[in-house]
Amino acid sequence: MTDAVSTATRPGRSATAETVRRLPEYLMIWVPLLLSAAHLITFSIWTIWISFTPSTLIPVSGWVGLRNYNSVLASRNWQIAFDNLLLFGSAFVLLSLITGLMLAILLDQRIRGENVLRSIFLYPLAVSFVVTGTVWSWLLNPGIGIQKLVHDLGWTSFRFDWLIDRDMAIWTIVIAAIWQSSGFAMALFLAGLRSVDSDIIKAAQIDGAGPVRTYWRVILPTLWPITITVVVVQLQFAISAFDLVRALTNGGPGIATQLPALVVYDLMFQRSQLGRGAAAAVLMLLILLAVLLPYAAWRYVQRRQATHA
Amino acid sequence: MPITTTRRRLLAGSAAALALPAFARAQGAAKPRLTAISQWSAGSDGAAITALGRKFEEKGGVWQHSPVPGFTTEMMNKLRAQIIAGDPPACSQLKGPEIAAWSKIAPTVDLDAVVAAAGYEKVVAPDLAKLHKPGGKWIALPLQIYSTNMLFLSKRALDKAKADKPPVTWADFNALAEKMKAAGVTYPFANGGTRADDGQKFEASLAGISPTAYRAACMNLDKKALEGPEMKAAFAQMRKLTEWMDPNVGAQPYAVNLKRFIDGDMGMLIMGGWAQGVLKNAGFKLDDFIIAPGPSDNGKPVFLLNADAFIFWQRKEADLQAGQMLMAQLVMDPAIQTMYSQITGSIPVRTDVDLTGEGWSDGQRTTAAALKNAVANNQAVLSLAHNMAQENGLTAAMIDVFTEYAKNKTIKPEEAVTRLAEAVEGAR
Repeated sequence: MTDAVSTATRPGRSATAETVRRLPEYLMIWVPLLLSAAHLITFSIWTIWISFTPSTLIPVSGWVGLRNYNSVLASRNWQIAFDNLLLFGSAFVLLSLITGLMLAILLDQRIRGENVLRSIFLYPLAVSFVVTGTVWSWLLNPGIGIQKLVHDLGWTSFRFDWLIDRDMAIWTIVIAAIWQSSGFAMALFLAGLRSVDSDIIKAAQIDGAGPVRTYWRVILPTLWPITITVVVVQLQFAISAFDLVRALTNGGPGIATQLPALVVYDLMFQRSQLGRGAAAAVLMLLILLAVLLPYAAWRYVQRRQATHA
Repeated sequence: MPITTTRRRLLAGSAAALALPAFARAQGAAKPRLTAISQWSAGSDGAAITALGRKFEEKGGVWQHSPVPGFTTEMMNKLRAQIIAGDPPACSQLKGPEIAAWSKIAPTVDLDAVVAAAGYEKVVAPDLAKLHKPGGKWIALPLQIYSTNMLFLSKRALDKAKADKPPVTWADFNALAEKMKAAGVTYPFANGGTRADDGQKFEASLAGISPTAYRAACMNLDKKALEGPEMKAAFAQMRKLTEWMDPNVGAQPYAVNLKRFIDGDMGMLIMGGWAQGVLKNAGFKLDDFIIAPGPSDNGKPVFLLNADAFIFWQRKEADLQAGQMLMAQLVMDPAIQTMYSQITGSIPVRTDVDLTGEGWSDGQRTTAAALKNAVANNQAVLSLAHNMAQENGLTAAMIDVFTEYAKNKTIKPEEAVTRLAEAVEGAR
């Protein structure tokens, strides 16, 4: 409702009275928004400042230039963490997207017990990542988990020891993370599928398109905005992943499954190197921006194209 | 609990007893009060500090303990916040070189007079004493000691291997491990997979090979020692240990394997003395296993020291100052140390406490004897893996190398030596 319209519909009121009447609305939106923006900006600037100081146990003033950044970037921990992030981030986002979409399509077939199944698939989301990590660390442990189960069943040559394999351990985190959050992707996709205009689907069917073709050419393209949402939400989770890894592998075996958030925590609180930890945190922020800025730019271009069209 | 009384201790005790009222008068006879933070909230740790608090109250003090459960990091965050706010606790748990590091960010109490009155310095291992007087003055007091390289032997695994004596040198150890392996013990070396656990495997290896090299490399970060032949030998010994370990433990703590250890499916464990408490709490009997000092190639025990301590922060309030003095006296008191160690399973810091009586386990007696022997032979050194030898930043950088080496068998010992030297250089 614009001012012009509301003034027009209530001809007796003055402009001031109108502003006063709408004051709660402004307060409702702007106060929390400004507060959170202030928090975000203040703490970000604070962290950036700390990252340039020689702070160790407590924040101190001073200027060390890029020393903290150089030290973090040169450390083996960070290099491994960064490589892992690229692998974990892309694998997790892609696979959870595919799993979520498949689940949504299957659930969309108007099957019996849909509500129960939906709850089951969504349930992992209600479980904390720490619990997920702990449970999966037992399941994936070759000495007591799935591998042992299969061995006990008689198939003794079966091997599933990714958790203790330096090269594969990162995939165990991918598995646990997908288990946890593909339900979330499924829920969003299901909502998207349900909101597709049934007339379009009928039209496609009349034109003689089979179910696969209907999904591929007609329904899925309409899910594009939802896909973007899922990707962005999952990506920010991937970049800030901490509790899951901490409980599942704690960066191990050795330092093979380090992730940036673990490195930040480790530097700040275990190693008492606040300055270096802050530098690592700022690097994480830069990674996040590297993902979000192109997305924002893309949205901007899209919107401009839409208005021009 | 019998404690041998010496003339010196009687003198020290009476001196302290005389000093206390004088001090109290100087403070305007304020009722001693102590604000303390520690991470000890539950289990035997919680029980021990609660008992200490009760003793404090019996002496007429007001005990205000705020435990911060969880990891040390959580407690440190509280300490950090309180120091920044200008309101440090009268005393807080803190150990190792962190005492020196933290003492630079807030003023601490000079405990020299009260330590001298108690004659405490003579009964504390020298390397340990040094940690608690970083600027030449006592500012913190060690409370209890664990050795991080005690050797635990499973009786059943020993039976399987038809052996009955604990190994003394690394060669003995390796031979016994092979024997166990041949006799059907699946994993002769019990282990966990945490960072500290991997660090412990290295420090036990190196200290057992040469305590002198250990002191130079891990405690003094001497560049030559860090690249010396003992380091390579230590990494090689550590590699042997990893060959006898269960690779399936992942990042789990050592305690998950204790049942297999007692059952004889795993043979030997190198762990801190706290493992006996854990074993006892898990319902295992003390005669299911033997405790001996960790392997030492020169035959004399090497003691890797890990000590919990209290640091005292300067406060202006008279009652808090009186409380600090009372607390200091309690912590150094042999009776209190006896009570504390008997609850937690550690050994007293004082090397003159008699452990022959009731309430002590064989494991504690063995540990105390090892400490005495190691101090006499200058073979008591500070644990790196448990943050006693270096500040956290350096320790963590070094443990990165150990933990990667433990899990990656393609890294050669000489490569590991180079990496360790680089890690130390990078973290300085």
